[in-house]
Amino acid sequence: MAARSGSLRTYILTRLALVVPNVLVLLTMVFLLMRVAPGDPVSAALGGRLPPAEIARRREAAGFDRPLIVQYWEYISGVLRLDFGQTLTDNRKVTDIFIVNGGATLTLTVAALIVALGVGIPLGLWAGRRRDSVSDVGIRLFGILTYAAPVFFTGLLAQILFTSQLGWLPSGKQASAITQATLDERTHIFLLDATLAGDADAFIDGLKHLVMPAVVLGLLITGVFIRLIRVNLAQTMRDDYVEAATARGIPEGRVVLRHAFRNAMVPFVTVLGLQVALLFGGAILTEQTFSWPGVGSQLLRYLNNRDYAAVQGIITVFALVVVAISLLIDIVNALIDPRVRY
Amino acid sequence: MRVYSTPRRAIVALAVAGLMGGGLVACGGDDSGDSGDNNKDAAADLAPLIVGTTDKVTTIDPAGSYDLPSWTLQYNIFQNLLAIPAGGNTPTPDAAESCDFENPTTYTCTLKDGLKFSDGSPMTSEDVKFSIDRVIAIADPNGPSSLFGSVASVEAPDEKTVTFMLKAGDATLPFVLTSGAGAIVSAAKYPADALQPDDQSLGSGLYKVDKFDKTQQVVLVPNENYSGDQELANSQTIVSYFQQESQLKTALESKEVMVAYRSLSPTDVADLEENGADKGVGIVTGQGTEINYLVLQNTKGAFADKAVRQAAAQLIDREAIAENVYNGSVDPLYSMVPEGLTGHVEAFQERYGEPDVAKATAILEEAGVETPVASTLWYTPSRYGATSADMYAEIQRQLNDSGLFDLELESAEYEQYKEEYPAGTYPAWQLGWFPDFPDADNYLSPFYDSVNNFLQYGYKNAEVDELLAAQKASTDPAEREAAFTEIQTLVAEDAPIIPIWQGKQVAGVVEGVEGVEDTFDPSFTFRFWLVKGVES
Repeated sequence: MAARSGSLRTYILTRLALVVPNVLVLLTMVFLLMRVAPGDPVSAALGGRLPPAEIARRREAAGFDRPLIVQYWEYISGVLRLDFGQTLTDNRKVTDIFIVNGGATLTLTVAALIVALGVGIPLGLWAGRRRDSVSDVGIRLFGILTYAAPVFFTGLLAQILFTSQLGWLPSGKQASAITQATLDERTHIFLLDATLAGDADAFIDGLKHLVMPAVVLGLLITGVFIRLIRVNLAQTMRDDYVEAATARGIPEGRVVLRHAFRNAMVPFVTVLGLQVALLFGGAILTEQTFSWPGVGSQLLRYLNNRDYAAVQGIITVFALVVVAISLLIDIVNALIDPRVRY
Repeated sequence: MRVYSTPRRAIVALAVAGLMGGGLVACGGDDSGDSGDNNKDAAADLAPLIVGTTDKVTTIDPAGSYDLPSWTLQYNIFQNLLAIPAGGNTPTPDAAESCDFENPTTYTCTLKDGLKFSDGSPMTSEDVKFSIDRVIAIADPNGPSSLFGSVASVEAPDEKTVTFMLKAGDATLPFVLTSGAGAIVSAAKYPADALQPDDQSLGSGLYKVDKFDKTQQVVLVPNENYSGDQELANSQTIVSYFQQESQLKTALESKEVMVAYRSLSPTDVADLEENGADKGVGIVTGQGTEINYLVLQNTKGAFADKAVRQAAAQLIDREAIAENVYNGSVDPLYSMVPEGLTGHVEAFQERYGEPDVAKATAILEEAGVETPVASTLWYTPSRYGATSADMYAEIQRQLNDSGLFDLELESAEYEQYKEEYPAGTYPAWQLGWFPDFPDADNYLSPFYDSVNNFLQYGYKNAEVDELLAAQKASTDPAEREAAFTEIQTLVAEDAPIIPIWQGKQVAGVVEGVEGVEDTFDPSFTFRFWLVKGVES
């Protein structure tokens, strides 16, 4: 339909309409996966620690004794009301978890994305311009290594090197203990709180703590960016308009940056959306490795406690965020490349 | 059993000494109500303390926690009627002036004067009654209500008197009152039937909660209304929580924390002992009462036969485990009652002596047991440290190398493990124990009482049951000690459980930090107030 109409507005409306079945399928999968495990969430979280009668009472109160279809409807209608449920082990609302811990995850993923773009794009451009040179091989190898190395392993090595051996960076957490103890938390985004408080020392302390986890997580997707930019740039550089531009005497750097790179960005932006999901996955392990107080570390905690109600709520929010980002990326893509909407 | 307030005696003694010296000695008394302000003023000149840990706190509401990490915070925030003094192992008055068994089933405590909660409101006997009643009434699945199983009712006849009416004699009640279960909360501020949010905790201990995030850090600041006898050695204490042992060690080396307490791995401890000085970091060790042991299924499978259990007890080399697996960071354990507690005897050492294959062979031959005995040993790597895998590989090697056993090794994550072992799924399995309170009964009744043991492994010995009941009902220390000795001898003979090691308390400390060694004692109470921090 979008291809026929050719209008950006129609494309966006169509894309928005597609979000509904997309989300529905996703929520259904999350709901069913959480129920593949035998028993019910209350028994899983509290079984063995409460008498059977109390387990039954709590199961009833939470609605886990009702038919699956009723539970499904309650789950879907809850999500529509932005009610993602409540944890079983400590009675927290899932929305509260995101309010308190979401800022740390957001800070980490945004910083990691900046690192990935800051490292991946220049290296990809360099490798794309110098295909099969020694530097190209080196950069490709670097990309493969960073993509293949598990975050927790890279994190541990970084801690040993930069904290234990060199003493340059703190080992983890969002800020030093004293700074955290004294800074007033207003937004739960540490750097923003430090800025609002006008506390330059706290801001610098927060930045120091952010460097290592952000670089470790960012490097995870740097490899993907390097490969994408390199391949697309190399292809674009063979296009006629690039040759024409070169023939007109335009300097190479300008040809690359203003002509070839811009076109090579289209598939890159598409893949960028997919990488956000990878970033969230990586953030869980990164947060664990660096004791970072984000949603990922909370998710692991609830998983360990077999609190499936919490896990379901957190995964649902993560899934919705990924869907929203994919939508945004598609719209941006359509804006920068008219071919997408025709 | 009667316990008196040492401070009161001290005050009397000082007054007498002062009068004799011709002058009146002015001493910070319990009744003045000024000591809290002194607490705050004195703290202002001190450095803060940052303690790093991998502990996981459940909640600091006394009704909702029954675990050491939560109790560690509680000990520093709340007062109890009684407390274990640093270096001691018997209850002494804390918020109480005195406590006394009027008869075996009536235990009465009198409160000190001038007690206040951190919000300035007075603490009365109603608060004490309320605190115990709500632990029992809430009966949280993670809570310690079971510790008050012997309490029929709590009465508060006047503002300063609390009386515990017991269903039967219970000599462990004074110890229970020193534990996290006995922390006193404000009746005006705590709900009677639900848990209090942790950031709204209100006690009368040396510290009060300033910020609370149990996954990141808890900030404790001096309680200006504290009216007890202890003094702060730091301006505030921040407890910083880490996900990984390795990160805790790194944080210590980089001085992000001043004390790393629970848990550094044995490898990290050994490394810090050897190389820590270069980085200004050292290791402090002290007596601990954590134990680790091997439970044997008594009613089915290979270990149902007493001779097989005895043969295993005869073969296990605890010295080798302590040295080779734990680098000497634990001590061999020859009774479930650890060394340092009244009543401890080396029962397994006395019964079995040194590891001896010939003796084990004779035990099995005499019982007509066919060898090798095939079975499976289970352990969990997610509860008692990753070193559990090495320990059980060593135990498997020791038993199999004798030619008398053919054991497989299996493991499970603790969440699965804790459900499977009570169901009788495992023939032999690893467990560990931290004391609720430093009394030998806490290491015997939960394991050997044929009805109320939590292991559900089928052990029954009528004589042991009788002795357990008798010592619990008695308030005569000598009588209890004799019963403890006899019980340990009997269970060493039956070998339903094989004690393996007794943990030391170990902390990594940065240069300049003092006082950690003062708080390491059998009670496992980490008293933050005793530890002097350093400027970071």
